[in-house]
Amino acid sequence: MRIGLVGPGNMGSHHARCWLRLGHEVEVHTPIEEDLAEAGEKLQVPTHKSLEALLGRADVVDVCTPTDVHREVVEAAARAKKPVICEKPLGRTVADAEAMVAACREAGVPLHCAQVVRFFPQYGAARAAIEGGRIGRPAVLRLSRQGQRPTQRSWYLDERRSGGVLLDLMIHDLDFARWIGGHVERVFARIRASDDGVPTRAFVILTHASGAISHVQATWGPVGTPFGTTFEFAGDGGLLSYDGFATEPLQVRLTEQEVTTGYLPRISPLEDPYAMELAEFAAAIGGGPQPRVTAEDGVEAVRLAMAAMESNRSGRTVRPQEVTA
Amino acid sequence: MKIGVLSFAHMHAYSYASQLATLPGVELVVADEEPGRAEEIAGRIAVRVLGTYDDVFEWGPDAVVVTNENAHHRQLVERAAAAGCHVLCEKPIATNLADARAMIEACERAGVRLMTAFPIRFSPAMRSLDEMVKGGTLGQVLACTGTNQGSMPGLNRPWFVDPALSGGGAMIDHTVHVADLLGWMLAVPAVEVYAQSNRICYADEVEVETGGLVAVTFEDGTVATIDCSWNRPTSYPTWGGLTLEMVGTGGTASADAFKQIVAEYSDVVGRASWLPWGADMDRAMVDEFRAAIVEGRQPQPDGEAGYRALEIALGALRSAATGQPVKLPLMPD
Repeated sequence: MRIGLVGPGNMGSHHARCWLRLGHEVEVHTPIEEDLAEAGEKLQVPTHKSLEALLGRADVVDVCTPTDVHREVVEAAARAKKPVICEKPLGRTVADAEAMVAACREAGVPLHCAQVVRFFPQYGAARAAIEGGRIGRPAVLRLSRQGQRPTQRSWYLDERRSGGVLLDLMIHDLDFARWIGGHVERVFARIRASDDGVPTRAFVILTHASGAISHVQATWGPVGTPFGTTFEFAGDGGLLSYDGFATEPLQVRLTEQEVTTGYLPRISPLEDPYAMELAEFAAAIGGGPQPRVTAEDGVEAVRLAMAAMESNRSGRTVRPQEVTA
Repeated sequence: MKIGVLSFAHMHAYSYASQLATLPGVELVVADEEPGRAEEIAGRIAVRVLGTYDDVFEWGPDAVVVTNENAHHRQLVERAAAAGCHVLCEKPIATNLADARAMIEACERAGVRLMTAFPIRFSPAMRSLDEMVKGGTLGQVLACTGTNQGSMPGLNRPWFVDPALSGGGAMIDHTVHVADLLGWMLAVPAVEVYAQSNRICYADEVEVETGGLVAVTFEDGTVATIDCSWNRPTSYPTWGGLTLEMVGTGGTASADAFKQIVAEYSDVVGRASWLPWGADMDRAMVDEFRAAIVEGRQPQPDGEAGYRALEIALGALRSAATGQPVKLPLMPD
């Protein structure tokens, strides 16, 4: 297939490499001319100055733009009757995310939301163990995710664009907590920012209709904070726990250690969850089975993040079903 | 110094008695009004077992260790104060704030020292973390994540899961340890607490909450969470654990009070176990109690530390019941 990739930045470039490795063609677009030239050079793929030109060429559109632009690009792709894959978070607001689902449904094209954590093998193993009944009934779930704070000039720091630490970073674990614990009835959140206004750590406590409770934590830590995730799922019949630092299969300590931390986990190309995710979406678009995550899951993840934002703002707990904006 | 251990209702009494018995200058007696439990320790260490608490007070102790059921701490602490004995009281200090305040005041009036048994303060890792916080190594501390998860103690000690005696389940038993560490290290009052609880783990065995998540906001804006769950399955390699992680403007640090273990895989025992080899926190704690009394100073953590930690746990129970955050301080009930 020919993939029309919009937004070849951090995540977009990684998607492009995965597509190429999977044997697909990739062409890219971004309205920022110097970024477009750089991406074409780096990825060695055709570039398009206009979105319309890219949409005209593409079999499938992969949207990796900043979050606040997702809706307009997805709606344009739907108008062009192209199947769409959209990076998480699906939309900047619940209303945006719902409008995207509606636009694709009306256009009769599939919409896939790249909640990639469901494709990470360690998370998949935990999900399979729980589905297999190995911890009994889930009771207390803990998920954490940390990395260093985004650089000052990055769009991630602009809450109007990215939704901040809750919508951009924590949404991974909100989605996964919902996948394990089920429907969420109550959300409580606290975000602690440093004096310069950058949210450093967000805590969310979810109460699921199943009775399970979840502790979800996301950290934009001080410069030098390594990327890492942990989880622990306790049930009435057992316990699953994972610590990304403790299971790092290759550990190197150099005498003049470079500060190498990023915003993405270190991944082996032999077991790249992004490639597994895109392959599953491509198979579904080609008539294969429904992927493990739906666009509606993407909407619900945005709803949980927005509910958490509202809880942090108001100081009260929030029922997510009441969040529509 | 003459020290009496009153009651083996709480299993920590075995460890405290064993450590006190080997401290220099300590003459130890123990008593328990429940038959059999005190004799059990006498089989393991050299200690005199007396029949009743009356016998202990008649013996004329300088200090006592109060390790009976939580709801009955007040009765023994007031009695000790009236007898002029210094007190090391097991956590939680009481099951309500009125009792805790009365205990603190009774000891003040009698001129005796009251210490609350929070042994995790004596973990070398926690000591170092405290030094880093107070010395500014982490910059301004912004957020903390604490866990104190364990197996369900009511299997061997049924009073732990009887709210009339314990004050609640996991939320009263386990919240107080991390709450005390936070109060100690951050040294600012807590102003709000939110909590959710459930009873999924050990649901067939108990009527009290076994799962709990607590979020505490402090006066300076620091936000901390505490996982107080009794959710370690019986197949877990140890009883549980306690961790505290902090993120500040200058970095992050995490401390694990029970990280120093040797992993054992034993076909003889039939499962994997963790064998602890770190410094003995209980020993360090009872030695602080002994030393402070010898030196005529207030041992730490004191009764107020016990009160503050209890207030957070009680606020958490109240919040879990109402589903909304609760403001602190709480009015004594």
